Amino acid sequence: MTDLPLTNKQWLAKLVAGIVPGIMFSFGCMAIVGLLCGTAGEPRTASAQFLMWLAVLVWLGVMGSCFLFRSGLRAWVVLGGAAMLVWGLFEILAKVTTA
Amino acid sequence: MKIRPDIVQVYREVHSWVGILCSLFLFVAFYAGSISMFEQPLQVWLTPAPSLPQPVELADTPQLLQKAFAEYPDASSHYTVVVNPDNARPARLMWPQDPTHRGHGPQDYVLAALSPDGELHTLVSRPSEIPFFIDQLHEQIGLPLPHTAARYTMGGVAVGYFLALVSGVIAFLPALKKMLFALRFGSATRKVWLDLHNLVGVFSLPFHFIIAATAVVFAFHEPIFALQGKLFQQGQPVAHGPAQQHGHAGDRSKGNGTRTVSFEGQMPPQAILVELQKQAPGFVADTLEYTTQSNRGKSRTTLRITGHDERYPTRGASNGFAVVDPASGKVLSADYLPGHQSAGFAALTAFVALHFGSYGGLPVRWGYYCLGLGGAFLFYTGCRLWIIARQKREQQAGNPQTRATWLLSCLTTGCITGCITGIAILLLCAPFWPLGGTYAQASLVYYTVFLLCMSLAFLLRENQRDPLLFCVAGCANIAIVPAVLIAMVEGRAILPSLGVGMVALVLGCFLLRSVKRSTCRLSA
Repeated sequence: MTDLPLTNKQWLAKLVAGIVPGIMFSFGCMAIVGLLCGTAGEPRTASAQFLMWLAVLVWLGVMGSCFLFRSGLRAWVVLGGAAMLVWGLFEILAKVTTA
Repeated sequence: MKIRPDIVQVYREVHSWVGILCSLFLFVAFYAGSISMFEQPLQVWLTPAPSLPQPVELADTPQLLQKAFAEYPDASSHYTVVVNPDNARPARLMWPQDPTHRGHGPQDYVLAALSPDGELHTLVSRPSEIPFFIDQLHEQIGLPLPHTAARYTMGGVAVGYFLALVSGVIAFLPALKKMLFALRFGSATRKVWLDLHNLVGVFSLPFHFIIAATAVVFAFHEPIFALQGKLFQQGQPVAHGPAQQHGHAGDRSKGNGTRTVSFEGQMPPQAILVELQKQAPGFVADTLEYTTQSNRGKSRTTLRITGHDERYPTRGASNGFAVVDPASGKVLSADYLPGHQSAGFAALTAFVALHFGSYGGLPVRWGYYCLGLGGAFLFYTGCRLWIIARQKREQQAGNPQTRATWLLSCLTTGCITGCITGIAILLLCAPFWPLGGTYAQASLVYYTVFLLCMSLAFLLRENQRDPLLFCVAGCANIAIVPAVLIAMVEGRAILPSLGVGMVALVLGCFLLRSVKRSTCRLSA
């Protein structure tokens, strides 16, 4: 760990990381939770509406903290990695639950 | 509270940039939104009473239905029975003139009434569109864009607003203990604005977080639901039929041609209301909306009763609804029936109701009105702080004012006074427009006034800009008072319109007073 103070020099990269992989991560979380609780994806059910809220709140959390990454690259690696992780997990879970 | 100083600095920068990008949009959204807390009463006030016979008694509704559908068979596929007719919904029975009409907002309705000798009278009318226009200003953050584009822009601004809240809290936390109640009036202008900004910001923080999160949900829920549909509905047949019975009005079958709807087996509206009262005591029904869909030769009528219950939050901006069996009056779906929802739906409703202020009746609405104006004031003080800080820095460096600072001062004053003046002029004109004003008239007047104020802001000199434009905004508000009085004398307005006049008077006086104070300070 370096002890350089945090700056906003790479704000654009961090912001876009919060938006693009950040959204993919939050949708991935929604997908996993939705799969585990067996929602039907019908907007009029309570489960679908809770999942929609979940996705939005997770994303807002990511957006609120994306400026804390040490660099733009780190933001992309961490958030991109997290997004791939949750979507990978979703694929596996989807296979398991349908099998 | 201890936070690393570099993190505070990062969030301070984020706060000022996101804030400055979003604040003017948010000002319009909050100012218009606080007025749209009273969208329904305003609509009742501004819509002139129609020239129709008195509505029939609720008990005589079946007679009215029979006569109306004998003459207009198409209407029987979708119609509304009004429980307590008012100016905005002036007839016992009404149906949309164009059943394929999409989108929300007022539309042309055919109003039906019976004369004392039992003859059917109909009239095509729509309520005043001025309150709806103000609500659209709120939803579209004042942008005259197509609805979808405006909604996504609004969503982007709402995310920025959320970021500004988070960063503002983090930037302010270290100073919270010693600065919270500090109001350094009489010291430098910048400190006065800063203290006001912090005070209003901290004390309305929960409200602002709720508004920000719900606004993001309102903007982006459709694509998220579409994604859910793709993810979770694979291989499952999409449920049709009963599951969709309380769908949006847009789901109605279109162009079914003429068909006869039998009323056999249907309970008369009054009996249904009595039945509903037994199942949901305290629920006050406003309308009964009947929709008949025919599917493969079979027709099925669904009945949706909208209404409210002041003890419980409602899902809509002013009401919730129950899906009721038209034959027995039994509640089929209580998902959105205030006080009878399952825990899950009640929680979801609570989130939304916290945005709409649709709980607790009138006191809460006035509370939201004040919080909304407080929010608008918060964004104004934020802009002022940004401008003053830059001006000071430029003065200290001995440089003339930069173009960016000048541009933002012009935009701030122009946008804020334009919005206030525009809405004031709308309310000034509305009682005198036939039919209470259409959307086109409202757009024309509002955006003309807005652009005028904006161009004045750019044309006027620095020391004239603020006093003059805020004077205009204040005078426009005060001018609502004589307009309301004239309208009342002419019999065009009802007593509650005095409330509009009072609020406008207070607001106008506040604006004029703030001009006087700031000119004193400038000359001192």
